[in-house]
Amino acid sequence: MNNVALKELLYKMADDQLILGHRNSEWTGMGPLLEEDIAFSSMAQDKIGQSHALYQLLHQLGEQEPDTVAFTRNANQFHNCVLVELPNGEYDFSLIRHFLYDTAEALRFDMLTRSSYKPLAELAVKIRAELRYHTLHANTWVKQLGSATEESISRLQHALEQALPYALGIFEPSPHEQELITRGIFEGEHVLQEKWIIQVELVVNQTQLSLPDQKQIKPVYGGRMGKHSEHLQPLLDEMSEVFRIDPTAEW
Amino acid sequence: MKSLDPRVNRLPKVGHPGQVEPKAPLDQLGTFEVFVQAKEGKPFQHEGIVHAPDLEMAFVLAKEAFTRRFTCVSLYVADTRHVYVSAMTEGNTSAWDFINLIEQQPGNKDSYEIYYLLRRGKQHQHAGTVQAAIPAEAMSEAKKLYGTKLVYNVWAIRTADIRFTSPEEKELWLTLPEKKFRDASDYKGGDKLKEFLERTKV
Repeated sequence: MNNVALKELLYKMADDQLILGHRNSEWTGMGPLLEEDIAFSSMAQDKIGQSHALYQLLHQLGEQEPDTVAFTRNANQFHNCVLVELPNGEYDFSLIRHFLYDTAEALRFDMLTRSSYKPLAELAVKIRAELRYHTLHANTWVKQLGSATEESISRLQHALEQALPYALGIFEPSPHEQELITRGIFEGEHVLQEKWIIQVELVVNQTQLSLPDQKQIKPVYGGRMGKHSEHLQPLLDEMSEVFRIDPTAEW
Repeated sequence: MKSLDPRVNRLPKVGHPGQVEPKAPLDQLGTFEVFVQAKEGKPFQHEGIVHAPDLEMAFVLAKEAFTRRFTCVSLYVADTRHVYVSAMTEGNTSAWDFINLIEQQPGNKDSYEIYYLLRRGKQHQHAGTVQAAIPAEAMSEAKKLYGTKLVYNVWAIRTADIRFTSPEEKELWLTLPEKKFRDASDYKGGDKLKEFLERTKV
């Protein structure tokens, strides 16, 4: 059986989790509240763990070891969407990105619990459980800050407008979309995006934020094909620094 | 524009000559009490507090602050102001001795969660639930049920004031047992350091 389509799906999901996990970990020690610092760091750690589990599935399909895959590729070999590699900015942007991204991922892994590829379906049950917290966290903050003060509302609104074109890039269609659907591996990015917008609206409508019309926005595509912003390579250089010095190092 | 961060609002402003005015009151996030159930069937235990703007946010923040390591199957939080506490005692004096038995109070009965402290320096543990119209009645009812046990402090919290874990939220801790890497002991840091020092010794 040809696994090109399946591998492409696993790579883009694993890369998304790894890169956003790394970005979010940059907040460790600098979060706005002690409790929030811990929560955000834990979720970053969850994401790295999820990427590791997905790289393991790829390894079972004949790809290299997770560490090799994570630390030795260059930016143009990564399949993450551009959204996850953008710098953290201020907390408003990080929070909105977390909300838009994890809403999509929670739905994606829920869909994948019904995947015909059993190892992925089993892993998806675990990842979905972790993402339940990530979305609870994101939704609670967005509802809180999206209805709090003039400053918090205007900051979140601005971040939302800034992040949305990139968030739509999560759903960049794969050349193998139809094959994945036909084989029952994944219902496809289009179905996911439809579910996502409903869920995003549901939360945003409970705040004083207004969601720009996604049909008027040009999605930022390219990430899935290895076309990235200038921000990804410096992130990879930093993330793989120890591995490049000593691939056998344990830490 | 007022900041959301109380620390920012507390920053001293540049004053004016001859200024004498009262110190502004502190503006802090409130505290919420966190209770954790380590295993199914075991009683909930008080683990500490979190700072949060409201009950829901407290639940969200408590989950990682108190249950990111070890085991947990359920968690709940209550506003500190909703926790009623008895006198604290020590030695052979039981906290029940300082709780008055009172007669049935008029009005609707609410359910209250009762916690007691079995040993000084340990956490308060869930004892059970009583029905009462006011906190003092809840304490009195608890004394009737558990009064023979030596305890050093008793708490009563109206059940309706608690943010519980819903049945579907139980999956929040599904993968927790796999996260051994969060336990300090799992790093074996001391062993690694010793090995490194041995290895690099000239």
